[in-house]
Amino acid sequence: MTTTTSSPTTSHTIDRTAWLRDGRMWLRTLVIVFIVAIFIFPIFFWFLASFKPFGLIFTLPPVFVFPPTFTWYSVVLGGVPYNQVMLELTGALTSTGGGMYYSVPYIIDSIVVASVSTLLVVLIGTPAAYALSRFPMRRRHDLAFWILSTRMMPVVVAAMPFFLMYRTLGWIDTYHGVILVHTVINLPLAILLLKSFFDEVPYDLDEAALVDGATRWQAFYKVIVHYVLPGLAATAILSFIFSWNEFLLTLTLTRTDIRTMPVAASTFDTATGGTEWGFLAALGTSAMAPVFIFVLLVQRHLVRGLTMGAVKG
Amino acid sequence: MAPAVLLLLIYSVYPLVYNIWTSFHKFDPMIRDFVWVGGENWATLFSDGRALNAVRVTVLYGMLALSIELTLGLGIAMLLDAGVYARGLWQSLLILPMVTPPAVVGLMFRLLEHSEFGVISWLLYGAGVLTKQEPLLGGTGQYALFGVLLADIWQWTPFCILILLAGLKSLPIEPLEAAEVDGANGWQKFWRVKLPLLRNVLAIVILFRIIDLYRVFDYIYVMTSGGPGQRTETISYYAYQTYVFINWGYTATLGVAILIVIWLSAFIYTRLFHVEW
Repeated sequence: MTTTTSSPTTSHTIDRTAWLRDGRMWLRTLVIVFIVAIFIFPIFFWFLASFKPFGLIFTLPPVFVFPPTFTWYSVVLGGVPYNQVMLELTGALTSTGGGMYYSVPYIIDSIVVASVSTLLVVLIGTPAAYALSRFPMRRRHDLAFWILSTRMMPVVVAAMPFFLMYRTLGWIDTYHGVILVHTVINLPLAILLLKSFFDEVPYDLDEAALVDGATRWQAFYKVIVHYVLPGLAATAILSFIFSWNEFLLTLTLTRTDIRTMPVAASTFDTATGGTEWGFLAALGTSAMAPVFIFVLLVQRHLVRGLTMGAVKG
Repeated sequence: MAPAVLLLLIYSVYPLVYNIWTSFHKFDPMIRDFVWVGGENWATLFSDGRALNAVRVTVLYGMLALSIELTLGLGIAMLLDAGVYARGLWQSLLILPMVTPPAVVGLMFRLLEHSEFGVISWLLYGAGVLTKQEPLLGGTGQYALFGVLLADIWQWTPFCILILLAGLKSLPIEPLEAAEVDGANGWQKFWRVKLPLLRNVLAIVILFRIIDLYRVFDYIYVMTSGGPGQRTETISYYAYQTYVFINWGYTATLGVAILIVIWLSAFIYTRLFHVEW
């Protein structure tokens, strides 16, 4: 401490408290940087692993500087045959099971399922949220709780009945089958979240529209919806992310024709050789990247979204 | 409203009714159909050691995860709230773990916790916490649950941080100022003023964490498959196993039992803490 403590003048006191405050700010910032670094490390490490040359993935202490290789991505995204790469790397054909790392079809499946289900969620959920927010309903809270309770349903509990129903209908391994369940599991989020946005639009606006001769429906889609557009965007993006990340239902209701990224990532057996991690890292990174880009767009509403509208944030 | 209610009814009522019906049946692979067995599945449930184990694992996992995530979350949220430079940047970065697909998180931690070349294992060996004979994943599986917990804590502590931070930022300042005038120290301000004011937000964080914790599945599936033995077999994973082995009548029984317990507890919880939408 080099600050003088002897001078009692006002300017000095202010300097000193400012210095102390800055010092504490820097100290806290330092601690936060350290904490955030820990939370980012696994993602960073996984990302690096997807560019690490064969063998370097397993070096300890871990290496962070290396000539990047695109071998793993050439198979995962470029469609170079697995056996050709493995032959170059190991000089031998190790296994025959790795032929499915080419994941562009899985990415397409993921995109189709997530975007169509998101579109449906928004189309069906918005009027429902508006109704829940506006119309006088007896037992409104019970209705909201019931909507929330569908989110509490253990996915396993829903998976088997849906599997058996789909088996009868022949919907296993079809787009509409997966899209339907993804729509239903994201609907509670959309309704409750959008309700919280509708609740913030003054009721006067509805009344003004009604006085001007609009019907309820017109008041809703010509006037009120425009005030919740940011909320609508946030809802859509979150719903897309949850659908993109959904695992168990897709695992149960698909076989080979349709495979979303998380399911694809989980089905590779890595127990036999240590070599598969490069492919997996490239696959996993490709599965995370779109979500990361999307989520940064909705940061502002994220807290509200993750609590289904309960905490405004 | 109507299409939404209809879809949600399908999602909530159909599995419930179907599971209740199925829980009194047994699937016979020979005739490829269900046959009536009365209360047999339910009798099994109450004498099923594996189900009891799964409940124990789930409760232990849930309590540890919840308490660690809440404590860390509250601590870090308060640190961020106290004032740091570039707070927005740290908040954005903290979002990333929780939007990573859980199945991929499981894979990431499997690599990090690999008993031979995982970075976390290597650090733990170096610190003398663990030995290669008894690693996080593998060995007798003594620590496997902690291995899975690590992934959960990594992914969901940021959730607690961000929600609690939002709560802290929206606290009214008058009570805090009043406490300061009354000469309260930092510790008293936290326990006596901030925490009680945070009650509602805390109740919501806990509710959402519990909802997700009791049905944890993805990490288990990817990281340990419930093993070694049944040391990491949670109730969701056990139910899935009975489903995979076409013991569908019993899957339904487990499902109905889980549903009853969780709906009742959530109902009581939301009434008790006045959680409202």
